[in-house]
Amino acid sequence: MTFILNLVTIVMYFFFSKMNPDMTVFGIPSTYLEFCFLGLSLQMIIGTSLATVCGSIYNEIASGTWSYLLLQFNFIEYSIGSTLAGVFLSSLSVFAALFLAYLFMGSFYVISIQEVMLVILLFLLILIAHMSISMIFASFTIYYQKNSGLVPLLYQLTITFTGIVFPISLLKGFPMIISRTLPLTYGLEALHSIVLADQNNWQLIVTNSMILLISSVFFGIVAIFLASKSITHSKKHNKVDWY
Amino acid sequence: MSTKKASTVIEEFQHSDLSTSFWMGFKATFYRNIKIIWQYKFTLFLGFVNTFAVASLFFYIGNLVPNQSISQDGYIVSSVTYIFAGSMLVDISTRILKKSMNSFTSEMKQGTFETLATQPFGLKKYFVSEITFEVFYSLVFSFIYYIPVLLIFPVFRGLNLSLLSVLSFLLVIVCVIFFFFSLSLLAANVTILVKRGREISMVIIGVMHLLSGSLFPLSLFPDWLRIIAYISPMTLAVQSFRLCLFGQGTLINGIVWGSVVMLILMSIIILILFDLTYKKIYSKIRYKGTMHEF
Repeated sequence: MTFILNLVTIVMYFFFSKMNPDMTVFGIPSTYLEFCFLGLSLQMIIGTSLATVCGSIYNEIASGTWSYLLLQFNFIEYSIGSTLAGVFLSSLSVFAALFLAYLFMGSFYVISIQEVMLVILLFLLILIAHMSISMIFASFTIYYQKNSGLVPLLYQLTITFTGIVFPISLLKGFPMIISRTLPLTYGLEALHSIVLADQNNWQLIVTNSMILLISSVFFGIVAIFLASKSITHSKKHNKVDWY
Repeated sequence: MSTKKASTVIEEFQHSDLSTSFWMGFKATFYRNIKIIWQYKFTLFLGFVNTFAVASLFFYIGNLVPNQSISQDGYIVSSVTYIFAGSMLVDISTRILKKSMNSFTSEMKQGTFETLATQPFGLKKYFVSEITFEVFYSLVFSFIYYIPVLLIFPVFRGLNLSLLSVLSFLLVIVCVIFFFFSLSLLAANVTILVKRGREISMVIIGVMHLLSGSLFPLSLFPDWLRIIAYISPMTLAVQSFRLCLFGQGTLINGIVWGSVVMLILMSIIILILFDLTYKKIYSKIRYKGTMHEF
């Protein structure tokens, strides 16, 4: 299902790219398809890393397995394990969709080994940042025993305001502020610079990587603190599970 | 007791005088759902932000089109307005499907579906009541959410519509709603069998978005894909919706009446399919003992 969804999204923007949006106007040295391909391929993986911890814990609570899991794992182990599993599975479908898209749409990136390493590093930083955010939402789920609906909202904001399908230079005022508070904006900006530009803008890449690293650490610490409080609270009030 | 015997008992129960009438069950479903929604008041606010984000996405994409104008079916309109109109119709109508599927998936996850299946009200009536509620809920809240969004993005300002165009436009919308009501019924049927409601709705919505030409004119499709696109009733619906809004289209126009006929015809076919498959699917899941989703 995820594979079909990825493919459909890529095909939709492939046809939109046939309207020939001029990306050089925005200072992006590529065609529209090359530009949005990067963001679209990341979109599903980001969604998975954002939703996994929070969604899995909600399901565990609803089905009554959360109390048992608490005996076997700690929160961080559970978060990393479930995120990696989710991301691995969604990556498979994304790679398959990308392969088909490459095959039929003929859009290729030419990048060096050094740039591949940078892309992998950025990819990991983006994943960790979103996993940490998901851990924060998971702690709310543990405390309130409810699904807040914040994750789908954050996902929609991420799709819209991080420059996946249009350059963020189009944004002005409040939308620009939203954009700058979302980690994927920094990740995509650096990725676009590495993959699309002829010359790597090292200052931008290092700054954005540092922002991602610091925000991951910050969100991670906040998440661990909130989760431990929430777990203590749910144990104290004897409501680890719903049933 | 065998499955056949259990079915007979339930059917007899549903037709006895003690059975809940459709209207009473319908009211109970409405009342229960409003109580559930009220428990999640915060998500009502989130719904607005979500609508704003979706609308923003299409607004900014519209700005990327060269010359910022698109021509189709004899009218020329701003690309932002064009994309916004098509995407808004697809967004609002597909919410019905998404919400219905989410509702059935939750019932199965939480284990309340099994209880509902054994109620004297009858599962089929419950399907109709639940989806009618979701149609009502999706439309009311889409209306509430889109009013401020259209004030933020005044893309439809200055449109000149004749009375006939407005009436044709409203008829197209009613047909789209009826189509999604029937599609949700059939999809709910499939959901109880394969237990993947959210995923099914996401794929259907994705494919409809692509084929409807919400982001671009269908002339960009190759011929073979354009033929496939017209199999989806949403393609003609989006086209006639835009024609009524921007090209003074009325029911006299082939695209408009064509879309109305197609939507009604497809809705009837889907309803018949639902009726034909319902009993088989219900018996199958009871025979397999897969009422819940774990």
